[in-house]
Amino acid sequence: MADKLNLYGKAFDSRLLVGTALYPSPAIMRESVAASGAEIITLSLRRQSPAQQQGKMLWDYIQESGCQLLPNTAGCKTPKEVVALAEMSREIFGTDWLKLEVIGDDYNLQPDPFGLIEAARELVQRGFKVLPYCTDDLVVCRRLLDVGCEVLMPWGSPIGTGRGLMNKYNLQTLRERLPDVPLIIDAGIGAPSQACEAMELGFDAVLLNTAIARAQNPVLMAGAFRLAVESGRAARNAGLMLKRQTASPSTPTLDMPFWQQAVSEGEKA
Amino acid sequence: MGRLLAWRLSAMGHQVTLFESGSLDKPAGACHTAAGMIAPLSELYHCPLPIYHMGMQSLQHWPQWAKQLEQQTGTNVDYRQTGSILVAHPQDRSELLQFQQELTAKLGKENTGQLHWLDKNTLTKLEPELDRFDQGLWLATEADIDNRKLLPALHLALKQSDVRIHENTPVNCTPRKIHTASASEQFELVIDTRGLGAKQQIKGLRGVRGEVLVVETQEVQLNRPVRLLHPRYQLYAVPRADHRIVIGATEIESEDMSPISLRSSMELSSALYSIHPAFAEARILETRVNCRPATMDNMPLLETEPGLIRVNGLYRHGYLLAPALVVQVEMQIQQTTSDTAQVTRCN
Repeated sequence: MADKLNLYGKAFDSRLLVGTALYPSPAIMRESVAASGAEIITLSLRRQSPAQQQGKMLWDYIQESGCQLLPNTAGCKTPKEVVALAEMSREIFGTDWLKLEVIGDDYNLQPDPFGLIEAARELVQRGFKVLPYCTDDLVVCRRLLDVGCEVLMPWGSPIGTGRGLMNKYNLQTLRERLPDVPLIIDAGIGAPSQACEAMELGFDAVLLNTAIARAQNPVLMAGAFRLAVESGRAARNAGLMLKRQTASPSTPTLDMPFWQQAVSEGEKA
Repeated sequence: MGRLLAWRLSAMGHQVTLFESGSLDKPAGACHTAAGMIAPLSELYHCPLPIYHMGMQSLQHWPQWAKQLEQQTGTNVDYRQTGSILVAHPQDRSELLQFQQELTAKLGKENTGQLHWLDKNTLTKLEPELDRFDQGLWLATEADIDNRKLLPALHLALKQSDVRIHENTPVNCTPRKIHTASASEQFELVIDTRGLGAKQQIKGLRGVRGEVLVVETQEVQLNRPVRLLHPRYQLYAVPRADHRIVIGATEIESEDMSPISLRSSMELSSALYSIHPAFAEARILETRVNCRPATMDNMPLLETEPGLIRVNGLYRHGYLLAPALVVQVEMQIQQTTSDTAQVTRCN
């Protein structure tokens, strides 16, 4: 059976979502998106005078990738700003998919959980398919589900830090307590190994931008993340072994009785 | 680009006619808005190696050209090669390491020790006002030029030479022909340096909005351009004569030419304030907004066909790349016996 990522009734082969900002050039961005294999890409329009469509040239260029666009509300701090921008992006891009961001702290770009829930409720009522960027707090995540979000995007760590999965306990709790909700790790992923780890933990997908865009070779790094996400997903599906307390040889060692190690240790002493 | 090229070609003995869509006294192009930095190493952080190479070529030409221009016109253009300094606040210190790592990797064998780490002592010897920072990087070969002095000097030099100037004359360019609103004029060669004015002719040419503040203060004295590294912004402060400082620049994927936003002005001014608190009482003299002409790979474009050369897409590197591109155009002109069209992506 095909292992598809299902979000809001749409199925995707790729479990890597990427952003389109911070690249050395639009051309490298598009090449990187292709190398990542991503089928969903985010883009921001808050600062680009969307009402006048002054960023249209780049938006058209991004749209030529053929990916599902996921406009975001980066830079918004209140539900009112979010709703205005969301309506504008729906009109410009012809999609009701939205990555919801409501920033609560300017320095680390931490989501504002209260504004997030309020904005998500309003957007769902307006018919948007909302993918909220949230913290790893179980209660906040539940409230977002209560107001109608079908997908959650908890952070691994703050945006752009590259620190990976900072609070694995919380993230594992989310996975265990919300087993049927698509969970996408969004933000903080700095290395392919961290993306792989997120997938091994059972998350459904990973969304990232800076680690690819700011790499010395973004296209190469995009390919590395693609492999890491595929690898982590395959490992999760295959079933990871549990960690053991003692060494366990993978080939039979008939000539070495189980007490041998203790004897050897005794000789050393 | 156009003015510099006209001046150089005229000096080489070519008969030059210059068409300017606006006024040469109040140019509308990004050249007027920019801070005039010639910083190949700093730019290498986010650009590919060919930009660095062209910038290094430009660094070889600027001192001599600036001197020639000053001698010809009797005016000062404030070309200064005192290097630039990069600093980061303690919480963003990894940005300095990232910068060094990126440049070291990109330069490879060409890395001949152009990056100098500064501790607090050596940093404050170069820039006493940067005493809030514990370390920095000094890029000693970098330079800058006061574009607000250079552009009038070039205008004067063109008037002194036999260059025909048509101001307030928007044009369209085709091989060997310039088309104004009322007429067409024939030339041996047309060189199109219109920037975003050539958007209809150059596929993929786009504008990238940049916003700049100019402040004045006598309380803080900087001797050279200072860049503040930050995870989300790339900001610089370039000191000019008369206690002015140019702070820039935002980079927004938009062709919006409306006045600076409150957010951008807060980002720029708070960055300056974080360099030194005495900037709080600086007076804002001017805000500047313009759109940089850029190609989709952000590389300059030099496109040649018989009777027409197009130079465009200098993006955020006008003063960094202009001399190197002028020299390439000069070479193209010398080879005009070739009747084939070609596009040089400069990479």
